[in-house]
Amino acid sequence: MSISRRKFLGWLGAAAAGTTLGKTVNAASNKHFSGYPDSMGVLFDNTRCIGCRKCEEGCNTVNELPAPDQPFDDLSLLETERRTTARAYTIVNRYDAVSNPNVKGPLYRKVQCNHCLEPACASACFVRAFTKTPEGAVIYDASVCVGCRYCMIACPFEIPTYEYDKAFEPRVMKCTLCYPRIEKGLLPGCVQVCPTEALTYGKRKDLLKDARQRILKSPDRYVDHVYGENEMGGTSWLYLSAVPFKELGMREDLGVTPAPKLTAGALMGVPVVVGLWPVLLTGIYAMTKRKEKIANQETEQAVAAAVEQANAEAAAKHKQEMEQVQKLKQKEIENAVKKALEEAAKPKAQDVSDPQPEKADKKPSEEES
Amino acid sequence: MKKGSARQPRTKMRITVLSVALCLAAAGIYGAKVPSGPAVEERADIIRIDSLKIFGTLGRPPVLFLHQKHTEALEKKNKDCTVCHLSEKDRLVSKYMRLQDTTKQEVMDIYHINCIACHKATAAAKEKSGPVVCGECHRDKPALVSIWQPIGMDKSLHYKHSRAQNEKCERCHHQYNEVTKKLYYAKGKEGTCRYCHQDITEENRISLREASHLGCIDCHRKTLAKFNDAGPITCNGCHDPAQQKLIEKLKNVPRIKRNQPDTVFVRTAKTALQNPKPATRMKLVPFDHRAHENYNDTCRVCHHADLNACVQCHTLQGAEEGNQINLEQAMHRLNTPMSCLGCHTISQSDPRCAGCHANIAAERLPDPAACQACHMAEVTPVAENIQSVESKNLAAAILDSRTPLRHAVAESEIPENVEIKILSNQYGPVKLPHRKIVQTLLNHIRTDRLVQYFHRDPYTLCQGCHHNSPAASKPPACVSCHGQPFDERGSRKPGLMAAYHRQCMECHEAMGIEKPVATNCVACHQKKS
Repeated sequence: MSISRRKFLGWLGAAAAGTTLGKTVNAASNKHFSGYPDSMGVLFDNTRCIGCRKCEEGCNTVNELPAPDQPFDDLSLLETERRTTARAYTIVNRYDAVSNPNVKGPLYRKVQCNHCLEPACASACFVRAFTKTPEGAVIYDASVCVGCRYCMIACPFEIPTYEYDKAFEPRVMKCTLCYPRIEKGLLPGCVQVCPTEALTYGKRKDLLKDARQRILKSPDRYVDHVYGENEMGGTSWLYLSAVPFKELGMREDLGVTPAPKLTAGALMGVPVVVGLWPVLLTGIYAMTKRKEKIANQETEQAVAAAVEQANAEAAAKHKQEMEQVQKLKQKEIENAVKKALEEAAKPKAQDVSDPQPEKADKKPSEEES
Repeated sequence: MKKGSARQPRTKMRITVLSVALCLAAAGIYGAKVPSGPAVEERADIIRIDSLKIFGTLGRPPVLFLHQKHTEALEKKNKDCTVCHLSEKDRLVSKYMRLQDTTKQEVMDIYHINCIACHKATAAAKEKSGPVVCGECHRDKPALVSIWQPIGMDKSLHYKHSRAQNEKCERCHHQYNEVTKKLYYAKGKEGTCRYCHQDITEENRISLREASHLGCIDCHRKTLAKFNDAGPITCNGCHDPAQQKLIEKLKNVPRIKRNQPDTVFVRTAKTALQNPKPATRMKLVPFDHRAHENYNDTCRVCHHADLNACVQCHTLQGAEEGNQINLEQAMHRLNTPMSCLGCHTISQSDPRCAGCHANIAAERLPDPAACQACHMAEVTPVAENIQSVESKNLAAAILDSRTPLRHAVAESEIPENVEIKILSNQYGPVKLPHRKIVQTLLNHIRTDRLVQYFHRDPYTLCQGCHHNSPAASKPPACVSCHGQPFDERGSRKPGLMAAYHRQCMECHEAMGIEKPVATNCVACHQKKS
């Protein structure tokens, strides 16, 4: 005997409802992380950027990265669209953005880690190699990294890079917001060297106000959007631009939900599956077993009762039959006695011929009964 | 066995179909890549034939008719406009081979029968001809782009016309009499065509397009027939940007006489009786009408709806006829050449001015003292009687009393070179040719009347760089205000390094100065050895 299909589905439904209800309760709570209150950030304003690549040089110097193949004052590199590498935490790309008539020349975009308020890299890392510090930086601990590079897949901005050319202890490489420097009260390397303050460093909340003010003052100069204010739940780097951000190769399809929130539902299911399901299934198994046991017992009892009844009935019938046989025998005896007595009463002359036919008459009557 | 044998050929067929489809797709992609269609033709003579629109939705895409192409073809055969256009009251009608749009079928037939007949006849004569098949005229996406430019009657063109017509204004200008429903000429009531002839034809009033083609082309044709020299009669002659440039622009054009004042106080009420009490009023603005005629190409730059005084529509409180825009707004609105302040602000985007003004124009509230640059005259009964000669003379006197400021700062007052070395680190100090810069800027504005009357301090120009401090002969240096960047408790003004770089670079960019290139550090900085 086993569990029916209908019942199994029923249990499954109940289990699913249980987990979903749990989530709804969580969503209705006031738990919402909107970043550390006084975290720092950088505002990049591409109407001020002149494309000098000084920020790349500054980054390289303060982070003691290997010297590049081509010097930083070689602006011909801007001809090709580049990405961050394990040897360059930040790069500048040039775009011929023409949609704003107030822009006379090309526009530039600085690329580096955006230091998300709720980083996707950190949520994808199962050894917790990434930490979002209260200062705003998303930093990396190479000592625990196992090199799975999930962070690189998780990052929507395609920022973390890997030291593929290192045979021993390769690391994930990305901008640190110069965490060691900002801890000491210094400016990030790129910000410090920017000649035009196209990079503004400050508290993220102040930078947002500053950005809004610039848009308000010069509405023709900017698109009315601060990139990074809400993208992927908000980033510590913010961007102002003279043209829509997608013209600068920046993704506008990311939505405003932080990456961890997107995966939280699925990941929340893991404890349920791993922890609760064995208990649940064992319970179902136990209950099924118990039911089987009870059913068995009942059957046994029923069988015993039936057997007993049958026995009793059989006995009663036997008794009745015996009684009847007894009665017939008695009757026969009586008849025989009666006949004997009658014969005794008859004259002695007939005594020799008569006894034979009497015996023949008696036999069929016995068979009939 | 049976199943297997039936399946095999079908699979084969599928593979064949698939591969053919793939080949076709590949060919399609390849084909799409190589020839990107015929190059788009730029034309100024595209006429969209959608006359049937008035009878309901069009069944086919409208025909884009190239007018110039047809007139040129006819000219070669010594044929003229009358081949296609009928005459009414001695004037050609702009419609094709008809006077009126009667019924859908009739209009459609006129086009189909006549166009195709001519094309066929031309083709029969073994000459280059037009299409005779539906889809070749009714094309979905014709490879045409319009470079058509509107043409306006500027002062120069107007003068040429009035000279040619011996100043007989009635040859073009007219009024409409509502009662007799006839056009008549009223001396002193002339205005721009657009005041009456709007974008679309209304009752008793044809559109500007219709009116100008009817009037201009008709006159040009007749003049051409008589004198062998007249204005253009083809599309390109007026509407091709290249041809427009060929129209000579006269430098010294006499004033157009239309009873306008030379100098006048800007009216604040329709009649003197409606003027509010003097105690609660702004000072009056004397206006040099004559000078402003010189600064603009047409009257309608300011007089956008008629040639009356602004206050006739834009009353002090705002009125229905002025679209509720009151006099203050009408005079001070930004981003429009129709208002005083709007036009003056737009002129600041001139590269000669933009270096300084790009950074200060939009964000700064006007200085209350600046109001008096225009609002100069006390409200007096004499001034208020605006139509009177005394009032006009008073306005002229006040305007003349202004001294145009020549901005002649003595050379000795301007430091010749400024060495910026306070930050020198990676590079050596910068030698700023200070006097050269100032003198260049001064030369730019020396003859500009707007500057002469509105920069009321000789040191105003210094404020372009030495901003946010009062005009003075010795303004503070950059380092007086700019220091460490990103000061949370400060006013978030740029740090010293950014202040230097942005002041130079943004000014150069706004003025269109291409050298030194912003990324060429050693063009300004001395190389450190």
